[in-house]
Amino acid sequence: MPAAAAIKVMVVDDQTSMRAMIRRALQDLGFKDVRDKPSAPEALAAVKADRVHLIISDYNMPEMDGLQFLEAVRTDAVIGKTVFIMLTGSSDKEIVQKAAALGVNNYVVKPFAPAALKEKIERVFGELT
Amino acid sequence: MRRVSIVQGENAIVAEPGVVVSTLLGSCVAACLYDPVAKVGGMNHFLLGEPGADQRVSAGDMQRYGVHAMELLINGLMARGAMRTRLKAHLYGGGNIVSGLGGIGTANAAFARRFMADEGIEVAHTDLGGTSARKVEFLPHEGKSRCTKVADRVPDRPPVPVNLPPAGGDLELF
Repeated sequence: MPAAAAIKVMVVDDQTSMRAMIRRALQDLGFKDVRDKPSAPEALAAVKADRVHLIISDYNMPEMDGLQFLEAVRTDAVIGKTVFIMLTGSSDKEIVQKAAALGVNNYVVKPFAPAALKEKIERVFGELT
Repeated sequence: MRRVSIVQGENAIVAEPGVVVSTLLGSCVAACLYDPVAKVGGMNHFLLGEPGADQRVSAGDMQRYGVHAMELLINGLMARGAMRTRLKAHLYGGGNIVSGLGGIGTANAAFARRFMADEGIEVAHTDLGGTSARKVEFLPHEGKSRCTKVADRVPDRPPVPVNLPPAGGDLELF
């Protein structure tokens, strides 16, 4: 079982309050190394410079949306295998299908409870300690 | 002129002129956001600001929170051509109408102010707090709003499961 504390996470959402809420939820789940960025280009540069194990990204962002971000991650030779969980709205089924085709590991529909986030992360990493 | 009424957990986004979005508020808060260049705006109506750090909430409960309601509204506005940097806000509600609710209205008003500050959204007008219920009317395309204090107590409706979107609510004619 992986220790949550050992997993480095990048949270990407253009809304400051949402980033803060996700960060808090992750910290409650035992994650110690949680970084965040307000845009996909900033997050992409940051994870290329300092790799993480898990990216949790909103879909709905200006400039570069979650799908474009996922594609940029997956086509990068170095960070291409980083676990990627997408946050979507309830009506975004088409987006989830596109994300699956691009290799997303899982997705979480907003609004979500911390327990749902934990469950989706554990489906990828296994039960967290 | 068309009128769109919203209740707790809903939002309405309007880009057409002459459409009034209205709601009734007690301790809830309504954020009226608009982009004066794109001429699009919208209103939401939320029950609570954000869950406490140690609070366990379900996904259904999360729909009542402002942090989610604000995201839905902002994303909806941006999908209709608004730019986050141009958004202006009018904030209403957050009254402490019912004693014994532990200042929930005050907490909601504080959340709304903090949210706008955190997100860098200019607050053009506020009418928050106090002990009165409010009726709020907003012309999103025009970016104009008005608020009427309601003398008699209008309690917030009990939380109901809400399917979001679509934006808007019952349509009435004046």
